[in-house]
Amino acid sequence: MFKFLTPMSVALSAALLCACGSSSQTSAVAPSTDHGTLAENPPFRIASLNAATFQAELAGTSSGAQLLQITGNPSCGVDFYYVKFWTLGGAGETTESSGALMVPTGAAPACSGPRPIVLYAHGTNPDKTLNIADITNTTNTEGVLIAAMFAAQGYIVVAPNYAGYDISTLGYHPYLNAEQQSGEMLDILAAARTALPKTLSSATTDSGKLFVTGYSQGGHVALATQRALQAAGATVAGVAGMSGPYALEAFGDALFFGNVDLGSTLFAPLLSTSYQKAYGNIYAAPSDLYSATYATGIETLLPSDTPLDAIFTKGLLPQTALFDSTTPVVPGSAQLTALLSVPGSPGYPLPPTAQTPLFAAGFGSPYLLNNTYRVAYALDAASNPDGAVPAPSTGVPLAAAAPTQPLRLAFYKNDLRNGSWAPSSPTLLCGGDQDPTVFYSVNTGTMAAFWSSLVQAGLITVLDVNGTPGGPFAALQTGFQESEAAQLLFYESAAGGGLSPAAAQQLIVEGYHGAVAPFCAAAARAFFGVL
Amino acid sequence: MTKLTVAMTKLTVRRRIAVGLAAGTTLLCAAPAPADDVPSNSARIGLYSVFYHVKADDLSGPYVPPGANIDANNVNTVYLAYVRRLSSHFDLELTAGYPPLQKTVGKGPAALGSVPYNGQVIATARWIAPTLLVEYMFLDENSKWRPYIGAGVNYTTFYDRDSTAQGNAASGGPTKLSLTSSVGPVGTVGLAYNLVNHWNMYASYSISQVKTKLTADTAGVIRTTHISFGPQALVVSVGYSF
Repeated sequence: MFKFLTPMSVALSAALLCACGSSSQTSAVAPSTDHGTLAENPPFRIASLNAATFQAELAGTSSGAQLLQITGNPSCGVDFYYVKFWTLGGAGETTESSGALMVPTGAAPACSGPRPIVLYAHGTNPDKTLNIADITNTTNTEGVLIAAMFAAQGYIVVAPNYAGYDISTLGYHPYLNAEQQSGEMLDILAAARTALPKTLSSATTDSGKLFVTGYSQGGHVALATQRALQAAGATVAGVAGMSGPYALEAFGDALFFGNVDLGSTLFAPLLSTSYQKAYGNIYAAPSDLYSATYATGIETLLPSDTPLDAIFTKGLLPQTALFDSTTPVVPGSAQLTALLSVPGSPGYPLPPTAQTPLFAAGFGSPYLLNNTYRVAYALDAASNPDGAVPAPSTGVPLAAAAPTQPLRLAFYKNDLRNGSWAPSSPTLLCGGDQDPTVFYSVNTGTMAAFWSSLVQAGLITVLDVNGTPGGPFAALQTGFQESEAAQLLFYESAAGGGLSPAAAQQLIVEGYHGAVAPFCAAAARAFFGVL
Repeated sequence: MTKLTVAMTKLTVRRRIAVGLAAGTTLLCAAPAPADDVPSNSARIGLYSVFYHVKADDLSGPYVPPGANIDANNVNTVYLAYVRRLSSHFDLELTAGYPPLQKTVGKGPAALGSVPYNGQVIATARWIAPTLLVEYMFLDENSKWRPYIGAGVNYTTFYDRDSTAQGNAASGGPTKLSLTSSVGPVGTVGLAYNLVNHWNMYASYSISQVKTKLTADTAGVIRTTHISFGPQALVVSVGYSF
């Protein structure tokens, strides 16, 4: 019996010892935190959709069905990877960030093998938990848009969530910091290129052809990235800036002169915190800039886990009142005093326009920004005027090169006219001329005029989706304008709420900036498709 | 039967109980052979068919669609056991099947996104489940047929845990699996048949409780579930007593 027992016991013991180890493995964690390093390789695939499933999921919602009309049906499946990588914050802090790598898949020739990359920068988002790779999250509309527009048509899409969002512990977002944001774009591009061969979709490879685009905030980031890539000697096949605040100094001047854009109370804390962290001189204390009502906690308010509606409801931000409705008196300057009064009010020097009510809504009480700060900014703008604002100067609309007010200087540093650079690759600037959020003429118009003397004819293409249809994008212009008209009728219909024409028009204005996005993205795809 | 013989028999029984207790408490460490000529040990080999009645929570964790669950395929393996005769009616059995390749399959949605899921083999593991049973044998030791019942404890541990290619595709990448070990009760009913001399045949049916927590790590994304395998085992074996 003992001869039998002993081998059995040994066998059992050996088996139990085996149980202590594990033979399965997961992704490797990179030992380095150098910027541009892929933190986990291979990255996690959130979802894998073939073309038919993706199409069916889009068609299953009204917004998805509308998007399909603009994007066309998916030709490829899309694998959605969640990429974690190391980057630098606005003051050079090492931080982990995250984003999306969307890989086209499928048997069609345009869906695998060597494919071009679209490097995409998203628009302003107050949601700190934003993960543009998470196609399963129904609030991720921008992720769905770029997946349907680019990835499902054979482009590899790479898009950061940005430092300060998702897993990043930076504690703020380096909003419209051209150096940081372009650096982060290059970092995720490097990380995604490291990741791609190790993914479950390795049949799709990087062809080496690179396009850069982005919407709104991301439009600014896209052009800043183009500048950084050119400076690094990288070849960019094409770029599309979409509804971006490119001419930041001019845009800032327009705002401080009372042209308050829709969303300004959201943008102001993001901007001031970003520049305070990067340059340290926007204010000595937040109360220098912000009214006492909102100063406390403003530096950590956005982006937030709390929905924007709740932020307004809790009184942490005013919905539209960027400035005090009791406007300041500028000593010794009746002209400036008048220019700082509420647009449309008696004494306001400029004639009313369709946007006057919008601008006027930017004034109220309680208000976000102090008059003293506004006056200091306006005095600098009056002394060192921008070439585009308040009225475009003749010739090239240069930025004021030496502003003295710290916030205005920060705008100048991040104004894409800074540095006298110009694209060396074909560039599309797309937007809508009635955009109440990112003004078209001040940004797209100024940038196009600025570059016109610096680049060869034909390199820059400007598209106003609200313009008279004509040229290669006529169908998109018609599509946008018909879509807006149909939406207005819908709001007035019983199904859409039976709103009055004025109330319906108000919703059109509020939705305008977002409505332009898919049409400009379609224009970008068409533009890239022939490069 | 003389008084002396009866006394000796009682002594032997007491001694056997003592040996049995010793074996039970020391998990079959060496014990002296009994004095009579009834074999005290037997080794058995046979077929071990395991039927699962899996009850598992839906997988929980990030990026898991509702209703994603798992199931386990039934397995057959080689049954090995050592049995120590404690008395004319009590046996102590230590069982261990040869560690089979256990397949875990997806259960729930037909596909996760476009990745096939329901019915796909998503993971494999080997398990070893040493089980200690005290069995009561009915009827006389000389009976040709002897039914028996038993109760005991089962220890199950898992190793060679691998997420399959299908499993990696469903999980979102290379996945590290861990499964906690399980200790649970086991009950059995069986029938022994004496073939000839030292050779017997056995058939038994057992139910045991095997519970584990499954943790899947895919690039730092952790999904978990609690699984109750509810295994029922049918064993047909032959044994040699010595």
